[in-house]
Amino acid sequence: MSEVPSDPADALAAVVALRRLADRLEDAAVEQAMRTGWSWPRVAEALGVTRQAVYKKHVHRLIVAGVKLRRRDG
Amino acid sequence: MSQFDRYLHAVITRAQREAREDSSPTVEAQHLLLAMSGEPDPVVEVLTSAGLDTAALRAALEREFVESLSAVGVASSAYDLPKPSPRRNHPGIGTSAKLALERGFSSSPRKKDLRPAHLLVGILSAEVGTVPRALTLAGVNRSDLLAQVRQTIGE
Repeated sequence: MSEVPSDPADALAAVVALRRLADRLEDAAVEQAMRTGWSWPRVAEALGVTRQAVYKKHVHRLIVAGVKLRRRDG
Repeated sequence: MSQFDRYLHAVITRAQREAREDSSPTVEAQHLLLAMSGEPDPVVEVLTSAGLDTAALRAALEREFVESLSAVGVASSAYDLPKPSPRRNHPGIGTSAKLALERGFSSSPRKKDLRPAHLLVGILSAEVGTVPRALTLAGVNRSDLLAQVRQTIGE
């Protein structure tokens, strides 16, 4: 692993970019899991967040995207 | 509702769409800038004359993202994800967007004189963060651009 970039602006921008990458990855990964039939509690536990949090964050877009969802408590 | 209020509402609505499509939980300054570049108003000419149409801005922002990741050894191409379905919830106004709005509003001495150019001044005033970095990568001198926008307010 290389060192922290010497320019603080680059190092701080990398933090922002990694957060953004994580947000993008989360959206894609949750969608993929739900398309493969994972349940909300299972996805939540795998992400280390509450099921309410993951449900609230993703349910609407997945319904609109036509993903067949298992019951919330399923 | 004043003309500026209507403009601001249109820009924020468009910026929320940009944020959602960006998988961003909040509206940030770059989403406001993208929104402004697509909203008809004479001030857009300052951006386009600097080569910054919406497509160029998008390209510069993407480059900023890729280069910032690569600075810590992460290749964004390693995560060539299928585009996720966009989030549906209304993204709130993030800190960088809030700052841009505050700076924009305070750049006009009187509220009734606020114009789209003031909003652009607010966005371009940030010296650090995603927007100034993307502008640098696009080969644009931010201070010059800011001066040009201020000139359009002049009279």
